[in-house]
Amino acid sequence: MRTCYRCLLCLHPPVFRREYAGEMLWIFDQSVASQGVTALLFDGLGSLARQWLLRSGWWKIALALSLAVLQVVLGGFATMIFGHRHLVEPAQDPSVVNMAEFAHGGSIAHQPLTVGIVMYLAVFITGGLTVMVIGLTFWMKSFGARRRHAALRVR
Amino acid sequence: MTEDYTPFLPLSPAALHILLSLAGEDRHGYGIMQEIARQSEGQYKLGPGTLYDNLQKLMTQGLVEASPTPPAHDDPRRRYFRLTSFGCGVLSAEVARLESVVREAKVHLRAPRRAT
Repeated sequence: MRTCYRCLLCLHPPVFRREYAGEMLWIFDQSVASQGVTALLFDGLGSLARQWLLRSGWWKIALALSLAVLQVVLGGFATMIFGHRHLVEPAQDPSVVNMAEFAHGGSIAHQPLTVGIVMYLAVFITGGLTVMVIGLTFWMKSFGARRRHAALRVR
Repeated sequence: MTEDYTPFLPLSPAALHILLSLAGEDRHGYGIMQEIARQSEGQYKLGPGTLYDNLQKLMTQGLVEASPTPPAHDDPRRRYFRLTSFGCGVLSAEVARLESVVREAKVHLRAPRRAT
């Protein structure tokens, strides 16, 4: 179980691991009898999740990824529901996607999945992710600045 | 000059207990855990993951800092932590807030309930 806990500590972000992993392992040895292995392992798992998702900023990537996936799913549903109104003939060459037609309301729902469509989706998701991460970063920085400013405000 | 501590309030239970345990003297991680267990009469047990995660956050906020010189008789590998003056102010503000909550609760619990 000590090895399990050590592995758990190795999965923490490097900065946290360098600072506290040694002491945490020492405390694990000291308190395993009083707190129990299971409680300590769950505590380590909780710390791991908090460190990666909250403290290291990875939550922004996770949130942006979830929103991008949601965006694609909603787009897919919208195409399924409203796409039949703008049915177009499939392109002569299946490897070529008529982007102008797609941009003007054409549906790609009934076209075979081609490299062009996959590339278009990849660019769409990557662009969305980048915009969301930048937006969230700026939003959090302004939030932190407001907190610091309020804390140092002179009454 | 008075500082406004409201952006840091209310403190989470873990942060409150850690600051309380450091109010008396400088302690290392395991000492903080033992002091918290003593203060809460064993009802609140903090694991090392929660402890160091919160200590890191409190150090970033400037409420706690690493103590420069550990006691001579102790293991030099252990790191000691202490409350900063800003942390002491935040703890006092949180205690004052909790006092007003308790006062309010006593008033409402003492008052006779209206029949529904």
